[in-house]
Amino acid sequence: METKTILSKTIGVMQTGIGVVAMIFAFLAFYDIFGIQTVLGISSESIGLYLWVFVIFGLLSSISGLFLFYER
Amino acid sequence: MDEPHLKRDLGLIRTTMLGIGGTLSAANFVIIGEAAGMAGYAIVPIVVICGLLSLLTMFSYAELGTAIPLAGGEYTFAKVAYGGFTSFLTGWFEWLSNMFYAALSAIGFAYVLSFLLPQINIELTAVVLVIVFSIVNLRGTKETATAETIITVTVLAVLTIFIIGAWSFVSGNPATPQSVSLVGPLGIFAATAYLFELYLGAEAVAAAQAEVKNPGRTIPLAIILSAVVLIALYTSVVVVAVNIASPQVLSEQSSPIAFVAQQALGPAGAILITIGLAIAGLAATNEAILAQSRVLYAMSRDGYLPKALCKVHKRFCTPHVAIIVSAIFTMIFAATGLVNFVVYAVNFGFIVGFSIVNMSVIRLRKIAPHLKRPFKAPLYPLTPIAGIAASIFLSLFIEPSVLILGVELIIVALLVYYIRMVGHHRMRIAFGGISLGLGAFAAFSAYLLGTNSIVLQGISSEVTTLVLYVLFFVSIVQILAGVLNMIVPDR
Repeated sequence: METKTILSKTIGVMQTGIGVVAMIFAFLAFYDIFGIQTVLGISSESIGLYLWVFVIFGLLSSISGLFLFYER
Repeated sequence: MDEPHLKRDLGLIRTTMLGIGGTLSAANFVIIGEAAGMAGYAIVPIVVICGLLSLLTMFSYAELGTAIPLAGGEYTFAKVAYGGFTSFLTGWFEWLSNMFYAALSAIGFAYVLSFLLPQINIELTAVVLVIVFSIVNLRGTKETATAETIITVTVLAVLTIFIIGAWSFVSGNPATPQSVSLVGPLGIFAATAYLFELYLGAEAVAAAQAEVKNPGRTIPLAIILSAVVLIALYTSVVVVAVNIASPQVLSEQSSPIAFVAQQALGPAGAILITIGLAIAGLAATNEAILAQSRVLYAMSRDGYLPKALCKVHKRFCTPHVAIIVSAIFTMIFAATGLVNFVVYAVNFGFIVGFSIVNMSVIRLRKIAPHLKRPFKAPLYPLTPIAGIAASIFLSLFIEPSVLILGVELIIVALLVYYIRMVGHHRMRIAFGGISLGLGAFAAFSAYLLGTNSIVLQGISSEVTTLVLYVLFFVSIVQILAGVLNMIVPDR
């Protein structure tokens, strides 16, 4: 496998991983699992915004990562 | 791959059992408690209203199921009526709804079981159940209507014993009049949107049309019969439940019906109903895992999703990649153990699907007026229009977080669709630009945090440093990904 392919797959996996973690984090924060809202000092009024931002970020990041991973 | 030719050997009774069995999930008897808390004693008419609202769309299913003799349910109907993005969106939500339904069934099973074994971990039990049934589906299932009929008859028998026994108890021990707290219309609508899930699954009758004898007569009759039986069954269960325990008490139980059975029939009754509901939960989980993997398989086969999803395992002859992908998503949502969120997510998906099915009926009546329709939805166009109106109305009362998720899922569907349909190279460049933007944003946030231009209120310096490192790492990965996506040659 050429160096660029290895780099693309590695970065692709990392970017997808970041995206998935961001989305899981968004839901954990939204439902205050593990007391995340308290730990990070997120107010309950702004939690909806955090959910939006992290899920959109996660989705875009995951899709971009998958493009790299499945590079032909 | 050729579609197998299915034998038409399902009569009225077995077809009706498919409709009833498709809806009987352990989770339904768990969420009744929560809904009782939301609506109080109004839960009784709400159960009937939900059944009637569901019946409106079932007529559309019956018309399309008999007019379009192809396997695939709503995804196929939308493909014939609209094609393009609408059929993709229908398949997308059909998959998501079944995925959420599988998670809900697994969570429901765990809650029912926890009545007898309170020490079990709900989330872990649900995830293990999903894994077990995913493995079962990977190895191939000899799915037969006979097995479905046996399970349905067993669960119906258990529920009938429960209703008769509990009713005798109520008759012998007249309930002390409860103080009825009035629930506002918003609470009633919210409970209706929540309980809509009770009747989901009855559309299995239309989906199985390829195996039904004389479908033009049998399918509409089976749909009406299953709706009548289900409305009678759920209403009876709810009536005896609220006569034995107050709605408030029911809402506090992990397995409200098992609790009621224990009050009315003693420990033996609780064990019996738990076993019955557990069987229903196992069957529903298995069916939902099977259904969602087949939707992914069909969409992949039609070119809407990556080809890998329609790979068939050489030894087991099952779509193993689709099953594994479905199982991963199901496990994530089953692991949350969040009943309310998953119930609303199931409802949202089905509400979108139901709307498209009703719209497909109207569209096909216009563009294909001479299509042979062995059954026609009565009172057309009132029935499908009322079905659409009911779906839109109910969606207004779905939990906001689920609506946000639903809108995001529509955005994802658009992205996935255009990634498949628009040139691959152009999409990659677009995502390269997005990644660079995300990287720049993360780097700028890290800079602001590092220079103390923004301060995380009430957070220790260790956590702030950790956030700073994470932001650096994310920005580097995003920028590298952006560059790699943008320098891809156009082939």
